[in-house]
Amino acid sequence: MSEATSTTAASSAARQSSVFKLTFRLPIIIWQSLFFIGPLCFMVAMSFFIVRNYRMQEDFVMKNWLKMLGRDYFWDSYVLTWGLAGIGTVVTMLVAFPAAYTLAFKASEAVRRWAIFMLIIPFFTSYLVRIFSWYVILAESGVINAGLSYLGLGPFVMLNTKFGTVVGYMTLTLPLVIILQTFALANIDRSLVEAAFNLGCRPFRTIYRVILPMARTGLIIAAVFCFILSFGDFVSPYYLGGSKPPTLPILIVDTVKSGQQWPRAAVVAVVMMVTLFVVAFAGIMAAYRRRVG
Amino acid sequence: MKSTANLFGSKLSRRKALAYGAATALSTPFISRAWAAPTEINMLAWYGHGEPDIVAEFEAANNVKFKPKYYAGGDNMLGLIAQSPPGTYDVILSDGEFVQQLNAAGYIEELNAADYPFDDMLYEDFTKFPGHWKDGKLYSMMVRFGHLGVSYNKNAITAEEAMSYSCFWKPEVKGKVGHFDWHLPSLGMMSLYNGNGAGLWDLSDGKWDAVQETTLSLRPQVGGYFDYGGTFNSLKNGEMQAMCGIGDWITGVLEKDGAPVGSVVPKEGGIQWTESYCIGKGTDKADIVKKFIQYMLSADGQVKSAQMAAYPGFAITKSGRAKLIDVDRAEAERTGQIDGMANDPITLVKEGRIHYRNIPVQQTLEDWNDFWSEYKNA
Amino acid sequence: MSDNRPLRWFLYGYLALVFTFIFAPILFSVIFSFNSDRFPTIPLGSFTLKWYQTVWNDPDVWEAARTSLTVSLSTATIATLLGFATAYTDYRYSFRLKPVYLGLVLLPPTIPLIIMALAMLAWFAKLGISGQVMSIIIAHSVLTAPFAMAIIRLRLSQMDPSLESAAWNLGASQWSALRRVIVPFCLPAIISSFCLTAAVSFDEFAISWFVSGLNKTIPVIILEIVTGNIDPQVNAIGSFVFLVSMTLVIIAQVVLMTRRKKEV
Repeated sequence: MSEATSTTAASSAARQSSVFKLTFRLPIIIWQSLFFIGPLCFMVAMSFFIVRNYRMQEDFVMKNWLKMLGRDYFWDSYVLTWGLAGIGTVVTMLVAFPAAYTLAFKASEAVRRWAIFMLIIPFFTSYLVRIFSWYVILAESGVINAGLSYLGLGPFVMLNTKFGTVVGYMTLTLPLVIILQTFALANIDRSLVEAAFNLGCRPFRTIYRVILPMARTGLIIAAVFCFILSFGDFVSPYYLGGSKPPTLPILIVDTVKSGQQWPRAAVVAVVMMVTLFVVAFAGIMAAYRRRVG
Repeated sequence: MKSTANLFGSKLSRRKALAYGAATALSTPFISRAWAAPTEINMLAWYGHGEPDIVAEFEAANNVKFKPKYYAGGDNMLGLIAQSPPGTYDVILSDGEFVQQLNAAGYIEELNAADYPFDDMLYEDFTKFPGHWKDGKLYSMMVRFGHLGVSYNKNAITAEEAMSYSCFWKPEVKGKVGHFDWHLPSLGMMSLYNGNGAGLWDLSDGKWDAVQETTLSLRPQVGGYFDYGGTFNSLKNGEMQAMCGIGDWITGVLEKDGAPVGSVVPKEGGIQWTESYCIGKGTDKADIVKKFIQYMLSADGQVKSAQMAAYPGFAITKSGRAKLIDVDRAEAERTGQIDGMANDPITLVKEGRIHYRNIPVQQTLEDWNDFWSEYKNA
Repeated sequence: MSDNRPLRWFLYGYLALVFTFIFAPILFSVIFSFNSDRFPTIPLGSFTLKWYQTVWNDPDVWEAARTSLTVSLSTATIATLLGFATAYTDYRYSFRLKPVYLGLVLLPPTIPLIIMALAMLAWFAKLGISGQVMSIIIAHSVLTAPFAMAIIRLRLSQMDPSLESAAWNLGASQWSALRRVIVPFCLPAIISSFCLTAAVSFDEFAISWFVSGLNKTIPVIILEIVTGNIDPQVNAIGSFVFLVSMTLVIIAQVVLMTRRKKEV
């Protein structure tokens, strides 16, 4: 084999190799740039457009930003959405933890497998249908109050309250959070937990000192997902919370629907997005921060 | 790690099975539809107008198929048209007060007045409904109407109390007053309550401020803001005991279902909603759409509209009313659509107790809408 | 771990409560789908199949079902292909901007659907492709590709890296090594990601609602009934879809178990 041919062969192999490489690398770059980055950038640009006679016109004005950020109701919604999503996340994480703990440490493998399997089922049912069902269950004339009335209790107002909203959020997030928490806990080295017990560590102290730190990454990721899902959900606060007052996602729908104010809806959306980026970033930093000491 | 692998395995095969199931599901129902290729008519309307109880008969007789897109509120409708390419919608059901805007924006075709039964109309005023004619040309055809007032649960509010909007402020219904989530009807009622009467839409700055103040004072009573379905459900299950911004179009359906609810036109006056059909600009199906509008104005169509499953509307033609009395006397009686009854909707209009819903005259829709957002957040 | 019987029972009881919470809405949805009253309240009316009949005879529902299937199968195909390519890239290569690359791929699930919906609708309208079935497919592919990528990447990380290079050493080209070694090894994950992305797409309503125009999917029909003329058809559709998927799930479990026994 002469040197020349081997060089050609090598370069053709290299060329082939780079074709191969790009075949796998490029599609997603092109696709996501066109249909993910594109729309998001356009939305940011859109927040500077104007609307005349229900038609959007390209422009560059600060009006939408000044108008939305200058309104008290926008900030009220902002705080409210934070609060609701925050409460929803805390409650969901707390409710999920004993369940995940049971599944990870107490349940047999078969039980765990079936439980996870059951937790996936809700993903195959329509979220809307489940929310509609809650509507019937929580109503004043609904299932729960009918049951309580036999005990001489109630009726309790549960619909169109923040309680209703949180129930809705949990419908969306609880199965996912339990699954994520279970995986986070199941990955812990059990011998360490047992060692803690054997050294006389009490259960709650073990959870606090041993289990939580070791499962931190997974738990924080679960919480971040829970928060993001709740923060962006418009179905629960609308149907179970009576949009009273509206959260940011409802504000987006309202703004689009009435008067076709897409640019102002875009302002709300951009603010939400920035907020969630900050939350997600902070969460990831916290999750992967090296443990000190 | 064995457990994870197993989890993965069981998840996997389940999903695989789902795919098989999808394939079998694909094969069954579509065979029957394959041979029929009816003309599709794109309809933009309030919920229910493209449902089988209204259009099925017409579809079968003319080999057409309605593809409805539903909106809630005139601003929503205008927005949907503005964002779609011209000619998207063949037939548009508009609220009477928005026809003018549709026309000004060039979204609708001119109609030929000779095509429609103007001599059969129950009330002279409806033949020249505001905004439907421009420069002697007809642009939209009114098909039905209804009245908005106090809608209430009879167990919580007496018929006497319901005769004034003040019942919304009754301490017993605190947290039980709902709003239909659209600014025009609710704010219109507040304006009536403020004594603006026939000038309810034509508010000077001072009066507009006063309406806002009145509305905000209702806020502590409010239990929620609802779309169409939510309004239905919360009145039915007693979650809300009074509802502002609606009328018989919602309570009528519930009443027929046995719920203790009703609607009245209070002493401050009521508001009329008016629905009119328009032919979308640039459609190539104008002929069949014309035929459909004629059908809805025929006696049969008017009865269908009066009995519409989604929400009932009053008949506007004499023949429609006559046929309704003939085939469904109970409904005609319930709604007063019999000449001589005290609550005959036409009589109410003639007595001046009813005001056509309109868009704000001195403010813009945006002002009202803005205030509505503020109110919801208050 | 010390075996604490009361604690164990307490925890199991708690678990049962949590599952009750999760399944209550599903259960009641099924119950109300057989209830004769148009507005679902307690006490129940009589048993009826009329909501199922209504749904079954409604051509719009069938049309929506067809649209939904088209959308979810197309989405699953695109998302899985993209996911595979990306997962393989991440597995095999390291390059300077990889974090950015991965960020680009994995970010979509962190954006609330309502925002994606608004952005997509505006963008598609700008490009002149709004209101089509294709718009939903594109939007859903963006949304689900990260899931496909994650599932396939997980599988790849279980693979012995020397396998592929062994194939190269035996003279296989990159392409044929990929076809003979990588794809077969990833096949379970590929199928599973196909099904997962199809399922996610099948139930997604916010984006579909915004960008679909006149083409309705099943979730959009459900949303329309819930916001519009609320009636138990919603429950009937929901229960039917649920029933079908559950039947398949159980069959799959049974098939899997018998196969396992055979393997043993």
